[in-house]
Amino acid sequence: MNANDSRSPRGKPLPAVIAVVVLLCPIGYSAVAALFGGGGDSTFLAAPENAEQGCIRPIEYMRFRHMDLLTEMRDAGVRHGARREVTFTDCTVCHASREEFCDRCHDAVNLVPDCFECHFYP
Amino acid sequence: MVQETLQAEPTATRDGGPLKIESDLQFIRTLRRQAGVSYKRCFQCGTCTATCALSTNAMPFPRREMIWAVWGLRDRLVADPDVWLCHQCNDCSERCPRGSRPGEVLSAVRRECVLEYSAPRFLARWVNNPVYLPFLLAIPAVLLSLLLTFKAPIEAALGITRNTTERIVYAYTPELPHWLLNTFFFTFTILSLLGAAFGVQRFWKAMKKEDAAVGRGTPSKGMGASIWTVVKSVATHEKFGECSRASSRYLSHLLVLFGFIALCLVTFWVITSRINPLLPDGFVYPFNFWSPWKVLANLGGLAIVVGCVLMAVDRLWNNQKTGPGTYFDWSLLVMLFLVVVSGFATEALHYIRLEPHRHAVYFVHLILVFYLIVYLPYSKLAHVIYRTVALVYNEYTGRHEVPESPPTEAA
Repeated sequence: MNANDSRSPRGKPLPAVIAVVVLLCPIGYSAVAALFGGGGDSTFLAAPENAEQGCIRPIEYMRFRHMDLLTEMRDAGVRHGARREVTFTDCTVCHASREEFCDRCHDAVNLVPDCFECHFYP
Repeated sequence: MVQETLQAEPTATRDGGPLKIESDLQFIRTLRRQAGVSYKRCFQCGTCTATCALSTNAMPFPRREMIWAVWGLRDRLVADPDVWLCHQCNDCSERCPRGSRPGEVLSAVRRECVLEYSAPRFLARWVNNPVYLPFLLAIPAVLLSLLLTFKAPIEAALGITRNTTERIVYAYTPELPHWLLNTFFFTFTILSLLGAAFGVQRFWKAMKKEDAAVGRGTPSKGMGASIWTVVKSVATHEKFGECSRASSRYLSHLLVLFGFIALCLVTFWVITSRINPLLPDGFVYPFNFWSPWKVLANLGGLAIVVGCVLMAVDRLWNNQKTGPGTYFDWSLLVMLFLVVVSGFATEALHYIRLEPHRHAVYFVHLILVFYLIVYLPYSKLAHVIYRTVALVYNEYTGRHEVPESPPTEAA
């Protein structure tokens, strides 16, 4: 048998230590964020003041599919000349501020929609 | 399956009496097929054990296991923790003067262990037979399809409503809601863990019984200390680090192991988000691409892909070192690779929002994840369980320091 019968540990600890540190990073980040309240309410949307009037589609649909709706309306308008069910201006009736409404979610998930490159959201 | 019995020359048993060798010929044929060599050429020179970096005086594998394999002593082999101490460095296979490839033989024995201790056993037979692959994949596909078809009535019956608070929980897809996926996977993972627990219990009992016969197996240190030693050894890849011929396996296995842990950790973090006290109010799912959790998940996936590719390259082009692999090996390797690749494909398709492809690919990804996780105790991935248990047993009983009590006559 080999010389390692004495079973001296010959593992290489460095890669394991690096891996464990990498694994612990997000937990640490979450813990710090939880303890010191970093980024807390940025993920909550205030309901619009006249919420009872309702959106042009059900809330659940708008949550998951508003981008599809915008794309559909864009295609209908630009490619088929069927303008225009609503515009951004109509959105602002309830959702007055782009910063308070659109950008909160988009920022939270690091999403950069190209809508606003051309379209002005008052 | 006829078990033929050969009567060999009476040999000294451990207590000096005559020993009748009950040779399991079916087992010998299976080992031969799985190892891919007629390992019975072994003439017990002991080069394998001498060259092995991992075997010790008290555990002289693989030479001892080779004679048991040649004799077809199935019961003794599947209850032998030493076969799990082997990490298939294949120094033995490379240097074997008879070409018996002990590394592959021990790998085949480990497969037999999984088949022996799995509960229910038929599932292990199916998982290790390519004929059943479509059927095994169809099980989650059909179940998940049924659940999705009847999603609305189930939601109504259980009173499940979508999150209507203002909090951003933007599921990638409302078609595959999280409550449904979490419940589905949780249920089957629990069942699979139960199966694994039965397997561990059987394995532990068998090891104890075999060791008791040679006067060892009594606890020499605490269970907690044993587990900690094993965790450290596994994390640092101490054993793989000692391999010389197949040293490439150190890196590939390290990448796959930690990638897998990273993905499990992120998954666990997400599914426990509602009850996790460490989560800030601002927990947003899906993650920001630069969220530490998303970065960890992507790194983990990447590590697995790289590790799998390295392993596949070894198996295909360096197979004198690592062994060409059997269905047992390849099914795990390919499935792991497909899980991660389909995961990345889903991620990319979500980003470019390609309908309905992203849902279809996600569905396929979920089926593959089911295969990997729920059939874990029955596939090669069961080594996570059985190898850990064998290593812990080894530490717990201190058998690597206690030689067997020598046979009175044969010495």
